[in-house]
Amino acid sequence: MKQAILKALLSHYWRHPWQALFLLLGLTAGVGLWSAVQIINHHAEVSYAQADSLLGVQANYWIRNRSEQGIAQADYIELRRAGFRQIFPVIEGQVITPDGQLISIIATDLLALRQSMPEETVDQTFNGIDNWLQLVQKPYRAWVPQQLADEFALIQGDQLQLRDGRQLPPALIQAQTQQGRRIFMDISAAFTLFDTDQFNYITVGQLTTEQFDLLTSLLPDSLALVQNQQQLDLSELTQSLHTHLSAMSLLSFAVGLFIVFNAVRFSLWHRRETLMNLRLMGVSVKALISAILFETLIWSLIGTVSGVICGLTIGNWLLPGLSQSLFNLYGATIDAVIALQSETLLLAWGITLVGLLWALAWPMYLQLKHDVLDANSPTLRHQAENSSRQQLALFSLPLLIMAFILFQTMETAVAGFALLGLLLFAAAWLLPTLLALGLKFAQACVPKQRLIGRWMVSDGWSQMPAFRSAMMALLLAMTANLGVGTLVDSFRSAFIGWLEVRQNADIYVNSSQSNIVQLLESEQAPGKTSLWLADSHRQIGITTRWQDQPTLVNGADTRAPDSLRFPLAQWLGDTPDDALALWRDNSNYILANEQLHYLGGLKLGQTIQLDTDQGPVDYQVVGFFYDYGNPKFQFYLSYEEVAKRWKYHYSRGTALWLKPDSTSNGPSSRQQAEKSFLANGINRADWISQDEIRTLSVNIFERTFAITAAMNSLTLIVAAIALLASLLAIMQERLPEFAQWRALGVNTREQFLIICSPLLIFVVIAWLLAIPLGAVLSWLLIQKLNIVSFGWSMPMLWKMAPAWQLGGLVLVIVIVTLLLSLLQLRRRLPDALAELGELS
Amino acid sequence: MLSIKNLYKSFGQPGGEVCVLDGLSFTMQAASSVALLGESGSGKSTLLHLIAGLDKSQSGDIEFSGKQLSTLNESALANMRRHQISLVFQQFHLISTLSVFDNIRFQAALCQRFDNAFETQLIDRLGLSSLLKKLPHQLSRGQQQRVAIARALLHKPKLVLADEPTGNLDEQSSLEVMAVFTDLVKSAGSSLLMVTHSKEMATFMQRSVLLHNGRLSDI
Repeated sequence: MKQAILKALLSHYWRHPWQALFLLLGLTAGVGLWSAVQIINHHAEVSYAQADSLLGVQANYWIRNRSEQGIAQADYIELRRAGFRQIFPVIEGQVITPDGQLISIIATDLLALRQSMPEETVDQTFNGIDNWLQLVQKPYRAWVPQQLADEFALIQGDQLQLRDGRQLPPALIQAQTQQGRRIFMDISAAFTLFDTDQFNYITVGQLTTEQFDLLTSLLPDSLALVQNQQQLDLSELTQSLHTHLSAMSLLSFAVGLFIVFNAVRFSLWHRRETLMNLRLMGVSVKALISAILFETLIWSLIGTVSGVICGLTIGNWLLPGLSQSLFNLYGATIDAVIALQSETLLLAWGITLVGLLWALAWPMYLQLKHDVLDANSPTLRHQAENSSRQQLALFSLPLLIMAFILFQTMETAVAGFALLGLLLFAAAWLLPTLLALGLKFAQACVPKQRLIGRWMVSDGWSQMPAFRSAMMALLLAMTANLGVGTLVDSFRSAFIGWLEVRQNADIYVNSSQSNIVQLLESEQAPGKTSLWLADSHRQIGITTRWQDQPTLVNGADTRAPDSLRFPLAQWLGDTPDDALALWRDNSNYILANEQLHYLGGLKLGQTIQLDTDQGPVDYQVVGFFYDYGNPKFQFYLSYEEVAKRWKYHYSRGTALWLKPDSTSNGPSSRQQAEKSFLANGINRADWISQDEIRTLSVNIFERTFAITAAMNSLTLIVAAIALLASLLAIMQERLPEFAQWRALGVNTREQFLIICSPLLIFVVIAWLLAIPLGAVLSWLLIQKLNIVSFGWSMPMLWKMAPAWQLGGLVLVIVIVTLLLSLLQLRRRLPDALAELGELS
Repeated sequence: MLSIKNLYKSFGQPGGEVCVLDGLSFTMQAASSVALLGESGSGKSTLLHLIAGLDKSQSGDIEFSGKQLSTLNESALANMRRHQISLVFQQFHLISTLSVFDNIRFQAALCQRFDNAFETQLIDRLGLSSLLKKLPHQLSRGQQQRVAIARALLHKPKLVLADEPTGNLDEQSSLEVMAVFTDLVKSAGSSLLMVTHSKEMATFMQRSVLLHNGRLSDI
């Protein structure tokens, strides 16, 4: 009996395979996008857990120079001689390719590393390398990850050319865990590449208590043993980004669910006669519900498998962009290859099942709640359509109230996204009522005597049930597109403006302190007029933890050109200049970044205490400055104050302003500056021009938001599929009606207008609603969520141009889907015409 | 007005080709009425579809109002139906979003041919005066069929093709509707070719023909 019912119900999909296809497409699209982000997030978490491992070796501690000046080789050799085999020197640096891409280099003592490894780790790490000695012997090898090799079209043995003319050692292309986009090489190769004889730091593996004490006692005063907290820091720092991604994936899932909702509705509608006949034959409603639930179970399994396969593909496609973003923003490295976890698969199945049940429950309830013969009555269908529209509008009210309450109390990113979700769904559920009002208005606008015109508009009432879900999906996709687009545009504008102010020097030098200090002293010596140097700004800093978060305390020349134009978001006094004057003239005043205000809870005028070498010192916060893209807390004091309070400060680089070029034909200021740098032992790799910095920063910014753009596009594609599914469903459902119209003499053009006029009205209404909704979304993202998540504020840059562009894009989507569905209609109409008069 | 010569139509079936119309010839004068009888599956509806240009024959000629249908493209066929032919089916296919009044005027609006006096006559004779503002789903099946008849006649087409127009109604209602229908067809000056199973319904027509083995014969 049960088998017969199931066979009767499922046979529908053999006759209407496109319905099965769209159901599968909706499930695959929704689950695919959701699971892609889940897989990536999980993958990133696993990577953070391994963040402190390099080439298979755990870094539990680091030995760093207190003044960040590097570690002499002699110090390392002495520690090795003392019996420490779990320590490895590291040189980290960055190089720039001719097309402006920044690549990180990590170098260590590969010979020592290999000798200290257990057999199985050696096999795992050096697996596939025929002659590993080539890594540690001249001309050395640059250990390039496959992904980066593909990007730069490198093959084994190629030497990557750099912007300044240098070359990396010959490439050894080999995948390695935790490598990300970084290139590994032996420490000797790095000495040559970076022209240095010092290490940046030494990584330290597991230590017993005795070893810890011994190591601490052996370290010279200038070196400090620091516990590695990278895993903890990365998890905390990247949490907001992953929450953002999760929210976008849930939005995509919701949009995909609208396709499922539509497909389920049509599959049930098409099977209404089968359902009625089964009930007439004595099959109970309970048995029918069980059969449909079983069908749902089957679909959920198929949808999960196809969705997760799709998710893995999308995840692999999005990973390089995300990996780049995480590295640029947080210095976090994640593996190039992702793997599927059983928890993700189970979670995907769970969410698919819940989604399907939600999409199925309402249409099934409508279908089965009436008496057997009433179930197909047009009057009841008409009433059901009206009442479901009203119910959706009513359901949206509690969502709006909940959103309002959440708006008042929101303190976390998760609460912020819940607020956005409530708001978006409330708007989506209100949409059918707005579409109905819009249709009534359009009808009222058509003169009464224009019967055909009125018909074309009024046909919208017949199309509305089919388009309702697709329009909701389109509304969500358009709103997300406009909202997130405005966020990105606002950020781009604020970021570039901020770069103009903060980094307006001509050249930045990142050399060791002594070289640049000598040069500046010589150029700015009393009585000497430099030929090329107009002004300079040396900064120093120390790293510490404030509220247990990584924090930088910088020492700045308060009278340097960029310090005078410090971009403040909030300040004490009437103008930013008043606050900057206080900071300049009194060493007890401190500037803090916005992150300290929004995430650290610091208030303007508040007095904070910092631990200095001379004990705790109080400082009063005189202003909060914009600090885009920085995940860490940051303070600014005067150069003198930092130098006085912290003995082991380090150089944060020097900004140089050049004199305008003279009109004579002599060398330019830049050429003279570069000549002086080289003469004073400052390498080409140690300075960078403002243009290069701006290009690099903008590149990093664009890559960071590339994943957002990709998710936006994918969501819009899913909405387009929902639209196509609805149109094809209408073609199928109303084919006999369309054939009858043709029999009455309606021509192709009129038929096209009848189908597309209401659709255009609906799309315009959805677009018009998406504009204010997109503005609200972007306002919430910029003014609330961004601050709660990242601690930055920025002005919202709202423009109508993106809304027009989106409208144009949606119009193209509508036209394409209309043409596709009209082609389908054209193919099927002759058969429908021949069947006219036959009872359905 | 309507002339059919050597019409041949067959359908591909799993067991092979099935010939439905086999060299069928038929003529019909203007303002005449013909009942088309035949067993189920004899090809009555197919013949109606071919005359209306909704389907194509394998061979043979259909000439309607001086034009060979085989020479007309899809757009010209739609235009011919719009102005000169009306179809009435057992299913009414009223436009659910338009009122009864708008449905009645629909085809007349398509071809921009209105006759207000005839419109009043149609509405009165079909008993639709009190239903004009209602929507189709608010009517009974009999009322819906009357609206479909009014829609088919208001623009006074040359030919009305009806496929068992009263098949959905009970016997008494069928007789009442048929009497009014044929009377109004006469008033419109149209010809009527009606498919029916019922000999009683055929008595309303001037002439009856039987479709058997793919050919027509007068009865």
